[in-house]
Amino acid sequence: MAGVYVSYPFCAQKCTYCNFASGVFPAALQERYLVALADEIRAHVWEWTPQTVYFGGGTPSTLAAEELASFLQLIPGRPWLEATIEAAPGTITAEKARSWAEAGINRVSLGVQSFIEKEIRRTGRKHTAATVDREIRLLSDAGIRNCNIDLIAGLSGQTEASWRESLDWIERLAPAHVSVYMLEVDENSRLGKEKMLGGVRYGAGDTPSDDETATFYETAVERLAAMGMARYEISNFARPGFESRHNLKYWKLEPYAGFGADAHSFDGRVRTQNPESIEEYLNPASRDRQEAEAALADERFFVGLRLMAGIQPSADEWLRFERPIQRFVDAGLLETEDGVLRLTKRGVMLSNEVFQEFLTT
Amino acid sequence: MDREFIRNFSIIAHIDHGKSTLADRLLEVTGALSQREMMAQVLDTMDLERERGITIKAHAVRLNYTADDGNLYQLNLIDTPGHVDFSYEVSRSLQACEGALLVVDASQGVEAQTLANTYLAIHHNLEIIPVINKIDLPAAEPERIREQIETIIGIDARDAVLTSAKQGTGVHEILEHIVHLVPHPKGSPTEPLRALIFDSWFDSYRGVIILVRVLDGHLRTGQKIRFWSNGQVYEVEALGYQAPKATPCDELSAGEVGFLCANIKTVADAKIGDTIVDDENPAAEPLPGFEEIKPMVFAGLYPVESHEHGLLRDALEKLRLNDSAFNFEPENSVALGFGFRCGFLGLLHLEIVQERLEREFNIDLITTAPGVRYRITTTTGELIQVDNPTKFPDPSEIKHIEEPIIDAMVITHEEFIGGILKLLEEKRGNQKKFEYIGGGRVMLTYELPLNEIVMDFYDRLKSCSRGYASLDYHLSGYRISPMVRLDVLVAGEPVDALSMIVHRDFAYDRGKELISRLRRLIPRQQFEVALQAAIGNKIVARESISALRKNVIAKCYGGDISRKRKLLEKQKEGKKRMKRVGRVEIPQEAFLAVLKVGNTDAEE
Repeated sequence: MAGVYVSYPFCAQKCTYCNFASGVFPAALQERYLVALADEIRAHVWEWTPQTVYFGGGTPSTLAAEELASFLQLIPGRPWLEATIEAAPGTITAEKARSWAEAGINRVSLGVQSFIEKEIRRTGRKHTAATVDREIRLLSDAGIRNCNIDLIAGLSGQTEASWRESLDWIERLAPAHVSVYMLEVDENSRLGKEKMLGGVRYGAGDTPSDDETATFYETAVERLAAMGMARYEISNFARPGFESRHNLKYWKLEPYAGFGADAHSFDGRVRTQNPESIEEYLNPASRDRQEAEAALADERFFVGLRLMAGIQPSADEWLRFERPIQRFVDAGLLETEDGVLRLTKRGVMLSNEVFQEFLTT
Repeated sequence: MDREFIRNFSIIAHIDHGKSTLADRLLEVTGALSQREMMAQVLDTMDLERERGITIKAHAVRLNYTADDGNLYQLNLIDTPGHVDFSYEVSRSLQACEGALLVVDASQGVEAQTLANTYLAIHHNLEIIPVINKIDLPAAEPERIREQIETIIGIDARDAVLTSAKQGTGVHEILEHIVHLVPHPKGSPTEPLRALIFDSWFDSYRGVIILVRVLDGHLRTGQKIRFWSNGQVYEVEALGYQAPKATPCDELSAGEVGFLCANIKTVADAKIGDTIVDDENPAAEPLPGFEEIKPMVFAGLYPVESHEHGLLRDALEKLRLNDSAFNFEPENSVALGFGFRCGFLGLLHLEIVQERLEREFNIDLITTAPGVRYRITTTTGELIQVDNPTKFPDPSEIKHIEEPIIDAMVITHEEFIGGILKLLEEKRGNQKKFEYIGGGRVMLTYELPLNEIVMDFYDRLKSCSRGYASLDYHLSGYRISPMVRLDVLVAGEPVDALSMIVHRDFAYDRGKELISRLRRLIPRQQFEVALQAAIGNKIVARESISALRKNVIAKCYGGDISRKRKLLEKQKEGKKRMKRVGRVEIPQEAFLAVLKVGNTDAEE
């Protein structure tokens, strides 16, 4: 199993919590980027045929339908088992949905984050719950029924009641897949700067505490389970059979090729990374990928254990990590069963504490 | 040189009143250094001295000055340390002089330190020459300061020299005053040798270098000398003086000041205040005033990285070669592992040693709360001295505890008196004197337990007087006090490095404060952590740190594993710098929390 990731780091507006290299850039830059991206994909020597494709962003849903189609043309393996595009609610039309389906897209990931208008506005986004409702129907009409909805726990202004309301919307819209992220206020985001320097524009002073955010997340785990969506990865929930095949590759250390600015690739042995900024990516002098031998010995743990199914350590690994494993089992953060090692419910919440112990560097 | 043409003097001044600038100016005017060779403040040679603007080691510089009377004089400037921690060293340096310049800032006036050192100088019969410095400043009030010197110190200040060391005014006058007012050295070149050791340091090429003042007789290269206190005999290998560059000579005779090398291995052998005599023809009596230096303040020093324990020991040994005033012995803490119990002259001395270890030897340190040495009489009638809280006997075995008491003198401006009196009362002080000393200034004399000033006294004195309070103290004796050991338990386990000795009446409040401070400093752990303060089996304060709810990376953007790895590595690195006690990771700052207890003003 192998996948393709295409990065499209352009947005109509930058979200206040965003700390990625994505954002709003001049149209001319966008044109040059698309040319370079196409060149990069064309130049790629395919050692395997991809089964999954993922257009991430940024906001690739703002890309003209023909442009998207032409990129998909460059990628072998059609029809793919899974081809996802990330979309901002408010950018989908009936026509766009149809052309995506025609171009081979069979899954859409909607960056909803919240269904509560006040919270959405503070992130800098422009949609409403009704937009999401309408666009999911448009996608369904076009034949795309596999949708993911992203939710963020910990947004400014969020309360227990408003979070419940967002989860009610999930129940109503019944997507096949939901991702729930707990917001880390990054100091490089506008929200983070406001939080440090003081200010009221994005409601930084009104962000829930870590403990409240944790409670929101745990509420979501329960509610989603009741709706038939099991947690299969720390932040991902799906109806049976609708787990993201592409994202699973990351956790299972399967190969993927990434194209575009800040795109990451892994061939099963070496990890490579394109420059983070668009400017560096476009500049022939700084375009080269950074390469690093993957440290699979510990990645197996700190990446693999993110899956609720856990991992099956080798006899060697059981021995090598005997002490931390025992310590975390005693502390109730890890559990073992028939040669499988996995995080407990509490272990998920404190997974960084666990993962650190498996770092070999 | 003929004794008649020798003048030995030192400079007494408060920090920032311009001592170093004046010394530099004297060097420059007498041609000891050309302007081009001058580096700002030549005498304070250690980085630490320059940065803090204080003198830690003494120096002796010879200046050749042709006075207005046409004669060439040898002026020896003996620069002394200027901090209460080093008052013994100061007294020995003063003993090497016949006169002293009393430098007072024309706008600031006399400070406690200056006063204490001036009294010390008067006690040694030194001729005091008042110098009012910084007269170029707009806030200068030389007349008021002149009056103050007369009222507070009680010396005639009519002939005080008005100077601006910065601009060079009055420097010539000072030199003339030294020549005419400071008596020439007494002593006799024909008597058997008696020389005073007033400082020493270790040089890796030449061994210990001793600063001496010859009082009687001669010191010559090749001479066999003997140290009075320990009877050790050495052969003089080299003699010389600083001008200010080291200049070798064959002989130092009565009245002269210089340095001596005799292949001595450690400064502990050449004790400050000791008398050097001729081995074959020893003088009958030593010079008066010698004391073995005793540390007053004690603290545990531990390496952050436990494998650096050997490194720390080597560093302490090296420092001790150069600083016999501090001592150390191995100690073992359950919480911190292997470290050393160290004794210091005072808090500044502790800070200096700590900074030198970190800077010169590159060792990250955890310092436990400084304390004093208690005299404990046990129920069996035995007297023991204890400077480590963990070594305190069980209360049932203690008959009584005596704590060291100091006489402290604080000089401040009357507007700050309220806060300072409150602080002194809180620190268990007994007022002995309250005097107005003119110009709105007040001099307070208090009896205080030493234990109360080793924690945070300086900082608090500074903050409640906006820096306008100066302090001097000396040990005055011991007093029976109801002291108890306050222990801290983290998750049920006692953390020995956090134990402290406190007065019984304060134990409850200090315990509460310490626990609440620790609650804020210890990060949340994977489980709830109980923090308790206890005296014996009795819990006097309790709080808990709730369990960490989440530490999780939500998103993995486009298969970016390296971002995750970096974050995990950063967290892991942070934990390495903490000390693990039982199951709890305790950051270094927590061990310092003890220092701040009692300092409620500093709370946000």
